Amino acid sequence: MAERICGICSDAHTTCYTQAIEDLLGIEAPPRAKYIRVIIAELERIHSHSLWLGIAAHEIGFDTLFMYLWRDRETVMDMLEFISGNRVHYAMNTIGGVRRDIPSEMTPKIKDGLDFLEKRIKYYIKTISSDRTIQKRTVDVGILKPKDAIELCAVGPTLRASGVKNDVRRDDPYAAYDEIPFNVVTHDGCDVFARIIVRCEEMLESINMIRYALDHMPAGMLRVRVPMAVEPNEAVSRVEAPRGELIHYARSNGTARPERYKVRSPTLANIPALCKMLMGQHVADIPIVLAGIDPCFACMDRLALIDVNTGRKKILDFNSLRENIRRMRGNCP
Amino acid sequence: MGEGKISIYRFMSAGCNGCDVQILECLVPRYRLEALGVEIVSTPEEANVLAITGGINVKGLKELKNAYERLRPPRIVIAVGNCAVTKGIFSDGYPMVGPPDQIVPVNLYIPGCPPRPQAIISAIAKILGIELEEREDYWYTPEGFRGKHEFDGEKCIGCGACAQICSSEAIEVHDKDGKRIIRVNYGRCTFCAFCQDECPTEAIRLTEEYHLSTVDREDAYVENEVKMLRCRVCGSYYAPQRQVDWAIKKVVEGADIRDELVGELRRAAEVCPDCRMKIDNIRRAKRILVQLSLRT
Repeated sequence: MAERICGICSDAHTTCYTQAIEDLLGIEAPPRAKYIRVIIAELERIHSHSLWLGIAAHEIGFDTLFMYLWRDRETVMDMLEFISGNRVHYAMNTIGGVRRDIPSEMTPKIKDGLDFLEKRIKYYIKTISSDRTIQKRTVDVGILKPKDAIELCAVGPTLRASGVKNDVRRDDPYAAYDEIPFNVVTHDGCDVFARIIVRCEEMLESINMIRYALDHMPAGMLRVRVPMAVEPNEAVSRVEAPRGELIHYARSNGTARPERYKVRSPTLANIPALCKMLMGQHVADIPIVLAGIDPCFACMDRLALIDVNTGRKKILDFNSLRENIRRMRGNCP
Repeated sequence: MGEGKISIYRFMSAGCNGCDVQILECLVPRYRLEALGVEIVSTPEEANVLAITGGINVKGLKELKNAYERLRPPRIVIAVGNCAVTKGIFSDGYPMVGPPDQIVPVNLYIPGCPPRPQAIISAIAKILGIELEEREDYWYTPEGFRGKHEFDGEKCIGCGACAQICSSEAIEVHDKDGKRIIRVNYGRCTFCAFCQDECPTEAIRLTEEYHLSTVDREDAYVENEVKMLRCRVCGSYYAPQRQVDWAIKKVVEGADIRDELVGELRRAAEVCPDCRMKIDNIRRAKRILVQLSLRT
């Protein structure tokens, strides 16, 4: 179910969820499972970034690039399907480890795909940096100064494109990220162009990480046994999703069901930064600036009831929400 | 529909975006949806086909009706993905309203979580009546793909472990006329393959079949029947024959016991849970347990 929070970064959500629950249970995934989690997460990052790049190209009216990028993106989708059995919802993570192995017979095919992607992404970086149309549309558009970015709590590539070196994978390593060498890509451009370049270079970085992980994967179990009882406790888990830092919070009360579960997705953190980015921009640039943070609007749907006259906030519990919905629904099925 | 151009308007409701991206992916050079004369448009006025992805919640309800009203004829509606087919795993969510077909008429269902672009394209080609050229380089399915379910009627013991583990409540077990029917409603399934992992006899398997499109939502199921066993005492049906045999076999193998106790064990097992609680049956069961524990 955690997978269905998002159809693009589905693995980030399950990783975050399983980590939170593993934390509650006091267990840890075996090393091989951690490496497999990294491989899937990085493949997902490549697919999400290239999806975004295609959308960004579409937003500035460059549909050819959109088609090319999405064509090459099929390579990643094929790899994910080949490893996990589904294109979007991989169902790889489980509490206590992973469900499927990546046997050594798969390695050559994955590496072939990575070689192809590396060649293509390098070509795109060259194209994007030299194409005058893209330059005109993105350089000095949607400026977000490092100071503002930090103050407005931007996360992920949006923050890194403002020159701030911040990455959960490095700052608070989870899975096997502490054993795999990688660079945190930053760019000082602070504009949409910088966001494009950061994402492109992150894809190259991901390719190198997958190669390293495939070569250095330790042997061993895929999952550990999960204790049947959960102590009353609470846990927070952080994961660097393709769009930025993702936070899951879980509280247990000793029963089999969680008492409270909360997801803070990266878009919610990035939206306030738009206030600064959009200031003084042309109306025609709004789509690309908005798309520049890689938004997922469903991720930022939050409900707060504030009485305008008194300024008082109202908190709704589950039953009153249900009651409201019943009233809205009326006679419909 | 024959001639004329198809213009699809995507109505994305409360889904995870997975199916929506799959529809867009149909556009890429590899699948070439546009080569079939199909385009994706951004307003309902330009469209004559509505592709619904995601379950419908109260907020989307009005919008959906509105979008349908504004469609150009012949107003074809396709439900893409399991949330749009049956509400999927979100069916118990408090803001959800019935599956789209209770709000607008739906012509075609494409189950899947999410359906592959190939499945979407072949479904659209079916509407158009076009024969598709299935190029082998990308119409293949990889090994281990999680598609439509398949029962091995020989192996299934009817224990219902698959229904217990199923998180989307897609598998139902009901007993009728001396038969236990296990029904997988793949219009609700998330294709997580937990049922396959959990099955004690490897009887259920997710095959590589992914062309699941159907015109009737009720058709989206796979069934298996298992014979039930009558209670030796009261004569009512209480458990599948094969499950009892399987359990006895497990005990016999595990404890390595001999003939006379096997018969005793079978006589005790062929009694329904209610009758098992009767005094002389409890005594018999106790005797078997003592003998078993003496040997192991």
